Amino acid sequence: MGSKREHRAPATVEIGLPADCRMAAQTALLADLLVALDAPATQLDGRAVERVDTAALQLLTLFRREALSRGCAVSWRGASATLREAADTLGLAKALDLPAAMPA
Amino acid sequence: MAKILAVDDSASMRGMVAYTLRGAGHEVTEAENGQLALDAASANGFDLVLADVNMPVMDGISMVRELRTRPSYKGVPILMLTTESHTDKKMEGKAAGATGWLVKPFDPEQLLATVKRVLG
Amino acid sequence: MSTGGLAQFQQVFIEESLEGLDTMESSLLALDEGGDGELVHTIFRAAHSIKGGAATFGFPEMASFTHEAESLLDEVRGGKRAIDKPIIELLLRSVDCLRGMFDRARAGQPLNDSASDGVRGELAAMMGRAAPAGTTPARRAGDQAEAWIIRFHPHAGMLAGGNDPLRLIRELAGLGELAVEADLARLPALARLDPSECHLGWSIELKAPARREDIAAVFDWVVDECDLSIEPKPSAAVTPAAAPAPASLADAAAARGTREANAESSSVRVAIDKIDGLINLVGELVITQAMLDTFREEFDPSRLALLQQGLTQLARHARELQESVMGIRMLPIASVFNRFPRLVRDLSQKLGKQVRLELHGEQTELDKTVLEKIGDPMVHLVRNAIDHGLETPDRRRAAGKGETGTLKLDAYHRGGYIVVEVSDDGAGLNREAIVRKAVERGLISGGEGMSDEAVAELIFQPGFSTAAVTTDLSGRGVGMDVVRRNVSDLGGTVTIRSKAGQGSVFTITLPLTLAIIDGLTAAVGEECYIVPLVSIVESVQLKPEALKTMPGGGELFRFRGEYLPVLRLHELFGCTGAKRAIEDGLLIVVEGDGGRVGLFVDGLVGQQQAVVKSLEANYRRVQGVSGATILADGSVALIVDVAGVTRLGRRSKAA
Repeated sequence: MGSKREHRAPATVEIGLPADCRMAAQTALLADLLVALDAPATQLDGRAVERVDTAALQLLTLFRREALSRGCAVSWRGASATLREAADTLGLAKALDLPAAMPA
Repeated sequence: MAKILAVDDSASMRGMVAYTLRGAGHEVTEAENGQLALDAASANGFDLVLADVNMPVMDGISMVRELRTRPSYKGVPILMLTTESHTDKKMEGKAAGATGWLVKPFDPEQLLATVKRVLG
Repeated sequence: MSTGGLAQFQQVFIEESLEGLDTMESSLLALDEGGDGELVHTIFRAAHSIKGGAATFGFPEMASFTHEAESLLDEVRGGKRAIDKPIIELLLRSVDCLRGMFDRARAGQPLNDSASDGVRGELAAMMGRAAPAGTTPARRAGDQAEAWIIRFHPHAGMLAGGNDPLRLIRELAGLGELAVEADLARLPALARLDPSECHLGWSIELKAPARREDIAAVFDWVVDECDLSIEPKPSAAVTPAAAPAPASLADAAAARGTREANAESSSVRVAIDKIDGLINLVGELVITQAMLDTFREEFDPSRLALLQQGLTQLARHARELQESVMGIRMLPIASVFNRFPRLVRDLSQKLGKQVRLELHGEQTELDKTVLEKIGDPMVHLVRNAIDHGLETPDRRRAAGKGETGTLKLDAYHRGGYIVVEVSDDGAGLNREAIVRKAVERGLISGGEGMSDEAVAELIFQPGFSTAAVTTDLSGRGVGMDVVRRNVSDLGGTVTIRSKAGQGSVFTITLPLTLAIIDGLTAAVGEECYIVPLVSIVESVQLKPEALKTMPGGGELFRFRGEYLPVLRLHELFGCTGAKRAIEDGLLIVVEGDGGRVGLFVDGLVGQQQAVVKSLEANYRRVQGVSGATILADGSVALIVDVAGVTRLGRRSKAA
């Protein structure tokens, strides 16, 4: 759920994070992220996330780091309060560059 | 509230655990040994499993080991209900994949506190 | 524990613990006979469960007592100590003490008594130390600091095991403000990442005063799954502090204070498969009902066969449901049999006899109510067999038998009944001694012409047994007449077969359940009476000349070489329109604890199962009637109290 496709530059891959973004959901997410690594830009949508764990944030952190090192852009369409709180707690807010509050 | 699987061959202990957790609004499924717990776990997804160590048919340690081989149960908290005299069992449970333990005896308040702790 | 709802589990705990104690006892006895090491594990597990539950359900005294026994067992289990007779003896006495504690728990009395204190002391002494005073070990004091640096690097497998650093760090935040810095140095390439593995690490500053042990407690489940260091922040002063945590046993003790008085509500534990069977049956019943329901809408004569088939199914379901529901009340007799190894062991040691106990048919099931009440009569029969039946080793040797006598308990189904036998290969009944005693007690004038069967029957007569003829062991002031009355109250019978020099067999025949009886429906005038099948010996038709009228008006008839009184039910119950001529009606010969009598009825209507309704509960007690039932046509039939009417018969014979 939450995967929204809008009319933007076709090169931008959009990935919606599921409401339950915990370990069981991450094999599928990892596959999507690996595909996104080859795109020039990726937009992550974390607005639907209700449950999240360290494994998810580790995965996203690693994706962002690797994408940036390849010169790909990573942006956020938004992040739920749950997602932001978890990133803060784990000291990963900066590494993930989450939006401070939900954008309009 | 969370979906919890309570596994204990002792009807009194299992009943107390289930009653207490239901009182706190959780949805509790009961199983009286490891094998029945695995069956229940196949049919449902649980947020937390509480399991006794010594049980007939299939003990708690074997149950955890089996449960952890299933992708859907990776990362799901599993607590062993154990007794302090079983330090070796605690570690055996951990080695099999348990998240932690709740030491018997415990009262309903301790149970709820631990469940709250593990569910975050 | 103060919540009312939780008290029910305390009751369940007591029940399962008593079962556990039975297991401990039987395993200890088996161990005493040279059983294998697996028994030690069984005993340990039982003790262990009781200990865990006792503390949880608010019985700290029991928990600490069991802890002593468990520790001793643990030493045996771990090979530190060889199991020997004194240990088995002590553990058996520990089982007794715990049973006593559970009894007192049910009665709401203080759990410890001098016996349990004594045994507890012995357990401790056996392990070479004094009994602990029930204190909890003091905790190691942790040091305290104004701020802490915690370095935390989970091993890769920690996440899959359910311990999420997210949760741990949140918990840590409960101690004070944190500054969390993630270490990303160990992250692999995305393509090689197993999302269930953890490659992050953290350096966390806790910017608040805290005790080391409180921080360590957050990580107590993961010490073996991470690299962890907890250090005071260098600039902060380190002050040692000792503040042992308060013991938590007080909570449990307080909980016990508010424990509800345990009314001994009885419950039955039912195997899941029995419940499943019931659910299946109800499912079939619903299907049949739906099928029959179609006839409500339209009845086409061409579908008559289908209707008949449906009704047949309905009848079958009803019968099966009845059997299954009854089955729920059925429990194996093993729980009663299991008392005996201990009893036999103690008793034979006391009397210097060698007895081998054989148990057969322990899985035979009977009604819970019957089960609860059959124990006492059986204890009496077993005591009697060891005390009077089996001989001492030298006597057995002199009689050309092995020194060890055999006592056999057997249970099996026969027809709709349960048969329980207590047999021994001892000396058998001593005819002369019984006749002499019976004459002494004024029960008979002499034994001439009495069959062996009739002589054996004498031991069941009230007043036959007295303290003078029984030792303190089997006697306790209770005679065989009480055994017979107890069994008779359960709707059963007890008989004896004995052969001099070869032993005796006591046979108890019991109905499967007290709720339903198999009976013959007999017509008496305009009414029907049910005579329980278990007590019927035979039905006979008499010729007028076979009836002897006594001077007092009582009537006798000869049956298998013995004169039996005739009881005319129409007279007893005041029925009108009944047959009076003896050749027109039928005599049902029944056997109860007053002996045999012939019940005169008009004739037999048929055999049926009768659901027993208590007359006492709905009306009042009526002499000669044990209950009532509802017949198929909706009318009420009374059930003849055979024990009661045979007692009446004996009085009429004596008159």
